[in-house]
Amino acid sequence: MVNENLVKDVVKEPYKYGFVTDIETEKIEKGLNEDIIKLISQKKEEPKFLLDFRLKAFKKWQKMKEPDWAALGYKKIDYQDIIYYSAPKQKEKISSLDEVDPKLLETFDKLGIPLTEQKKLTNVAVDAVFDSVSIATTFREELAEHGVIFCSISEAVKNHADLIEKYLGTVVPASDNYFAALNSAVFSDGSFVYIPKGVTCPMDLSSYFRINSGDSGQFERTLIIAEESSSVSYLEGCTAPMFDTNTLHAAVVELIALDDASIKYSTVQNWYAGDEEGIGGIFNFVTKRGKCLGKRSKISWSQVETGSAITWKYPSCLLLGEESVGEFYSVALTNNLQQADTGTKMIHIGPKTKSTIVSKGISAGNSKNSYRGLVKMGTKATGSRNYSQCDSMLIGDQASANTFPYIKSQQPNSEIEHEASTCRISEDQLFYLQSRGIEFEEAVSMMVSGFCRDVFNQLPMEFAAEADKLLALKLEGSVG
Amino acid sequence: MEIIEKIKTNKSDDNLTEIQKICLHKLQSSPLPNPKNELWRLSNKSKLSNFLNYSINEKDSKFETPYPKNSQSIIRFIIGENCKIKLIEKNYSIQQLSEDELQKYIKEQVSFFKQNENWSDLLNLSLSCKNNILGLKINGSKIPPIEIFSHASSNSLNAKTLVIFLEKNCDVELLQVNLGKENSSLSQSTFFCLKENSSVNHGVVSYGENKSNLLNSLNVIQQKNSAYNLGSLHFKFNYARFEISIKQTAGNAKTNIKGMQITKKDEQISTYTKIEFNGPNGFLDQINKSLADDKSHAIFEGSIIVPKIAQKTDASQLSRNLLLSNLAQIDTKPQLEIIADDVKCKHGATISQLNEEELFYMRTRGITLTEASKLQLSSYFQEIISFIPISKDKWDLLDKLLNEN
Repeated sequence: MVNENLVKDVVKEPYKYGFVTDIETEKIEKGLNEDIIKLISQKKEEPKFLLDFRLKAFKKWQKMKEPDWAALGYKKIDYQDIIYYSAPKQKEKISSLDEVDPKLLETFDKLGIPLTEQKKLTNVAVDAVFDSVSIATTFREELAEHGVIFCSISEAVKNHADLIEKYLGTVVPASDNYFAALNSAVFSDGSFVYIPKGVTCPMDLSSYFRINSGDSGQFERTLIIAEESSSVSYLEGCTAPMFDTNTLHAAVVELIALDDASIKYSTVQNWYAGDEEGIGGIFNFVTKRGKCLGKRSKISWSQVETGSAITWKYPSCLLLGEESVGEFYSVALTNNLQQADTGTKMIHIGPKTKSTIVSKGISAGNSKNSYRGLVKMGTKATGSRNYSQCDSMLIGDQASANTFPYIKSQQPNSEIEHEASTCRISEDQLFYLQSRGIEFEEAVSMMVSGFCRDVFNQLPMEFAAEADKLLALKLEGSVG
Repeated sequence: MEIIEKIKTNKSDDNLTEIQKICLHKLQSSPLPNPKNELWRLSNKSKLSNFLNYSINEKDSKFETPYPKNSQSIIRFIIGENCKIKLIEKNYSIQQLSEDELQKYIKEQVSFFKQNENWSDLLNLSLSCKNNILGLKINGSKIPPIEIFSHASSNSLNAKTLVIFLEKNCDVELLQVNLGKENSSLSQSTFFCLKENSSVNHGVVSYGENKSNLLNSLNVIQQKNSAYNLGSLHFKFNYARFEISIKQTAGNAKTNIKGMQITKKDEQISTYTKIEFNGPNGFLDQINKSLADDKSHAIFEGSIIVPKIAQKTDASQLSRNLLLSNLAQIDTKPQLEIIADDVKCKHGATISQLNEEELFYMRTRGITLTEASKLQLSSYFQEIISFIPISKDKWDLLDKLLNEN
């Protein structure tokens, strides 16, 4: 149940993460060419294989066309008008959190991210990414005791180059799509997680992404490898300040699960969505994909998408290993002039693979919310099963909700079930709640929360509470 | 470009009707559908080019109806053969549309055409000569059932067009039969206009032979309080597309669709439906079934469009598919595009094979596997077949589906 007072408090507030941190940053010049890529690589002191990877991706990107099949409309992005590297100036090497610029710590403090010592009690390890670089990663020593590697991807390139070389780009190849190619060429930072064989990660891992400058894009890259019989739960959060300009965010996330491993990846996306007239906001083009390589491996995506002016995101699972499991739980909420085209892809390749899709879309204001998903049964996927459920809720008569499920089967001995429905908040239920003395906005909030319950149940506890708050906040003024 | 040249060499400019000229002109900008377009992406390109390869034929070989007229009074038309139609009885009348009426209506329709969505119609109207266009105006009540045949001739590409106006308060049962011949291509376009309070039970049975091809397009306009019930069946075509477009112009209308396609060998049959609600209180109940065996490919794509004006729409769409072979494939894509908020819309899709538990149950009761599968299939087919008007007594469709290869 949503805490009523909490909802009230939150509903009154506008986008509270919209502040800008005044900090000296090091930026490179605008534009994108081979020299810029070389400069980024040089700044990060990368080995040659990574520079080659970037340059190859850039060549491919130049030949590619921006996709236009999504049900999204946005003004053309000028890729030469973006700063591809921006980092807060700080001392060269940081040995402890005390050396991090207090302004940065304060920023993350304001965002409610526990970086400082006293807040570490929450037992969540955090990797905080500010614009293009990772600022700090907490709990590293404790994790290292278990053999878990959790660090920024730049550090991993230096300290675990073998793992990066082996796995980077194996799930999302550089040529996968336009935005993945762009990311492969210019990615600046992100998180790296390696869980060794047989280890259950002792705490939740978390990345927090913060865009601070208005003219630089954020291109982070996350790579998670779960060895045999290991398991990990990973959380991702993101915010950005309010600017009148649109900022580009093109991330790539790759997950690899070997035999009996399980990865749970949860996202609460709350990038700045632009104002009521649709000015400003983040363009969020993300490629997320997990590969269930091993037998009985499991990858579970859960996401709450409430921010961004434009969302283009399809977290997918490649189910290769026998009896591997893919899951996708999503709540996407759009308000005002936001547009979201999101969904998932479940590609069943191995036998006896199973996947579940539960997607809840809520569109309010003048927004556009589309579910686009693919379920594919390959010829070898005998005994595989898929179940999909996509529900949409419309609030107001200006919002639109679309459903585009693509279903393809080449294996008779498999089953696919898909169902979708569209509804609005039932007047009877509203009346019932109001007649019991519950105020209108609260009643709506409760019903939206109930509509999303299937998905919220899949989120880690801290996230579930935050998600509830977020939805209430985002719906402010759109009802009644 | 080839197809356009073919039409032009077949007939000089002077012999082309005005509609043919307009459509040819439209075709010229995209002589073939864009293979990247969602509606054509999965369509087998070599099969489509094979469709267009046959020489254009405007005159049919003598057509023998597949069964004789029985005692029950049925009005029968064969597109391309009936010259003058004027049936005026006490309760009803069926008359041929005048040249002007036909021209005006088709021209208006063409003006709404989109290049990829209506490519089949553009091709059809570019090919159809005057003789192969049948326009009917149906009025009155207690009308005997109507059968309309459209057939192809071997080794040729035929185009037939049917335009039907259903006048106010009219109620009719109508079965349209498209017959493919060996090595033939048939382009059939149908335009249906249902005026206020009219209702029709429309059946479409398309039955091919070895290596026959079909492009079947159906455009329906429904005015207020009209009811359109469609039962369709497509089978035995090397390549067939059934494109349905239904528009409820002012809402308050009812649409029921039950369709089925059966593919075997290396056939490809696809159904595309687009249902638009342009007014409130619309109703749709749609079910589409596919069965794919051997190396065949069945495709279903259905979109439901509910704009802001279409409040209180109640629409449901279900795609049920049976995949019976390791080499066959099924693609299905039911879609909803909704802006109105006070609506009830849902869709569902399933792909599976025959239910093993049911088979097992029947086998434990001494029914052989073949018999048990047939029983299951017949119940799967029956739901659709029973919805197709007239045909059920005479065509014995169920037997054809179960026993023919």
